[in-house]
Amino acid sequence: MTTTAGSNQLLAFIKFLRGKDVPVSPADTLDAVHAAGLLGYDDRTVLRDGLAAVLAKSTFEESTYREAFDLFFAPQQLDTQTLESGNGEQPASTSENGADQDKTTTANDSAQSLEELLQNPTAQEDPTLAGLMNSALMNALQSGDESTLAMAIEAAAETAKVDEIRLFTQRGQFTRRLLDALGETALRDAAIEFEKSQPRAFEEIQRLRENLRYRARDRVERAYLVHAAGDTEDFLDDALSEVRLANISPHQMARMRKLMDRMARKLASRHGRRRQRKRRGQLNVPMTLRASVATDGIPFNTHWRQVQRKRPQIMAICDVSGSVAAYAKFLLMFLYALQDVLPRTRSFAFSSSLGEVTDWFSEFPVEEAVSRVNRVYGGATDYARAFTDFNELALQDINRATTVIILGDARNNNSDPRLDLLAEIKAKCQRLIWLNPEPRLAWGTGDSAMLKVTQHCHIATECNNLKQLERIIDTLLSAMHGN
Amino acid sequence: METTLYPQLDDVTAISTAFSEAGYICTPRIATVVYLAAALNKPILVEGPPGVGKTELAKTCAEVIAKPLVRLQCYEGLDEAKALYEWKYGKQLLYTQILKEQLGDILDGAKGLKESIQRLHSTGDVFYAKEFLEPRPLLRAMEQDDGAVLLIDEIDKADFEFESLLLEVLSDYQISIPEIGTIQARSKPMVFLTSNDTRDLSDALKRRCLHLHIPFPSIELESRIVTARVPELESHLSDQLVRFVHAIRELDLKKSPAISETLDWARSLLLLHANQLDAKLVHDTLNVLLKYEEDIVEAEGQLGKLLKIAEGL
Repeated sequence: MTTTAGSNQLLAFIKFLRGKDVPVSPADTLDAVHAAGLLGYDDRTVLRDGLAAVLAKSTFEESTYREAFDLFFAPQQLDTQTLESGNGEQPASTSENGADQDKTTTANDSAQSLEELLQNPTAQEDPTLAGLMNSALMNALQSGDESTLAMAIEAAAETAKVDEIRLFTQRGQFTRRLLDALGETALRDAAIEFEKSQPRAFEEIQRLRENLRYRARDRVERAYLVHAAGDTEDFLDDALSEVRLANISPHQMARMRKLMDRMARKLASRHGRRRQRKRRGQLNVPMTLRASVATDGIPFNTHWRQVQRKRPQIMAICDVSGSVAAYAKFLLMFLYALQDVLPRTRSFAFSSSLGEVTDWFSEFPVEEAVSRVNRVYGGATDYARAFTDFNELALQDINRATTVIILGDARNNNSDPRLDLLAEIKAKCQRLIWLNPEPRLAWGTGDSAMLKVTQHCHIATECNNLKQLERIIDTLLSAMHGN
Repeated sequence: METTLYPQLDDVTAISTAFSEAGYICTPRIATVVYLAAALNKPILVEGPPGVGKTELAKTCAEVIAKPLVRLQCYEGLDEAKALYEWKYGKQLLYTQILKEQLGDILDGAKGLKESIQRLHSTGDVFYAKEFLEPRPLLRAMEQDDGAVLLIDEIDKADFEFESLLLEVLSDYQISIPEIGTIQARSKPMVFLTSNDTRDLSDALKRRCLHLHIPFPSIELESRIVTARVPELESHLSDQLVRFVHAIRELDLKKSPAISETLDWARSLLLLHANQLDAKLVHDTLNVLLKYEEDIVEAEGQLGKLLKIAEGL
């Protein structure tokens, strides 16, 4: 049976998938093993379709899955013989048997030519060479017997522990180990010996060596992709989420975008919309009747049909002056990536004067909207003016379901920031959050009014990398949805 | 392996054949997933644009295995009283009336409060009994003696909370009723959930299902579907029609025509005794295929090009 070997391959594939950010739970893994057992490993398309149903849970995941499947199970990779080699039952001996049979039947031109080339006294007398020429590996290489070769490579990969590869730079080292385990040394010795005396045979051996090396390298790269690439990606993502947002360079933006989208997806699914039962509207007769049983048929506790959807709203006010602009960009991008759970985000930008920029985000792609904001509102900071403008513009729209997020460093160039206006906002809204990109230790130093600002906020916190940003939004969402 | 409830679904090729005999041309993919669902006893979550045959798949499945189809149409505000079960309140209230009247007989000669209560307990609690239970689709599907097809249609229209309600049904094929206990399915039904992807479903729900995405079909597949469903249509006209529909899907439309629209169109052409797609015919019948005025205007603007493609040029 090929089931154990197959499921080993399958487990490696699932690990690979997880590395590609497709969440596969242990229960899914069990289902996948069952499914594969039912479908068999013979028909690649059927297996691919079947596993897709079990492992990929959305169209988005399915496209990742299909790519991964094709990468992992290269078409010739999935014939049963290859899978058998993973069994660990003396693959070397089986491969020799197989090769012996093949040798008699499928010797082709190049094989003959090498044998002819070696029909001379020196080669015949050399016992190591004769041994080499009769080895299964050599035969397989010469006859182009793919399955024997693949089996030999799998067996050698196990001996050389190729699957332990962790770093990209280890590829060379592992390829060498794999080649040694394959017995390539004998070929190399032969090549050295023939280099002078028999140029044609030397060429032939070199050709075979190149072929073998190519396959070994391929095998090691696949091992890297499966076992390490995911780790490296995770490592890079982790590192990036802790970098100060202002230090993120343009070439990292693509990765950053992906990371933010992923975080946003995670947050969105965690905080799907929730509802609360209303206390008025249409009477839920069955429920009321049922509850009335306890009170002898008197409908003491009433139940209502309608459910109320909470309409939380976020107003984000971002300082886009030079020192804070980079952070504002990420806050806005993150908020707009969360449109599924935060459908009513209004955003305002200021440095000296303040204006609403919500429409730009519906009109343009997020990145362009952000750069437009920076262009129009960038300049020297004046909090007093900004608060005045904001209160004129939006104070009347703030209610008990509104969360106001202000991003700024609270440095007002030594003039009065008019915190009384801030207090007005606080009194009307549900929650006022101040995010400051400066580390807590710097608050209140120099012209920073941050310590005073803190008194007028529900939450004032340091926020300068993606991880902190995610945590704040997460807390915010759970508070908004009341769980 | 234990003997399965649905022997018709025991083999991938057999499923393909049986379904196409029932008039549903399915891709190997669909057949594979249906086979796995039957073998692993798991529900299938079918996603895809409207009109590609998601609901039809469940109907055909019921037809092929010759079992009743229990359908639950989801909508906003759907709750357990409409999906799982409801108590027959009227009868329950009547029962309490009767109990009150009988109370004298039951308690006749009882000494003291303690004995009265003991007697009352010994009559057994029938207020919450299965007799007072009104089964709704989910419970009804569980109560079928030898299998059924349960179709939970447009699950994305139901509320988020309703999904949690489904979890027990989907993973264990049972329903817990607080007053009675757990009702186990007499036989495990084949479950199909369909979703038009208007919102993301919860991970917990997705995890319990096999995922099947049905996209718009390829030209070959759609031709086969048209031939199977509207066999009276001449083959050259049906080829033209399918090519036309495929070309129209390439346009930037508000709502691309799906298979169901293609079939409607094919039937209309049949009724009109058409034997050739031409500009006038398309102009007159385009509203069968496209549902929005602006889409129709857009398509008519490119009619010449579309007809050329339909001719196979």
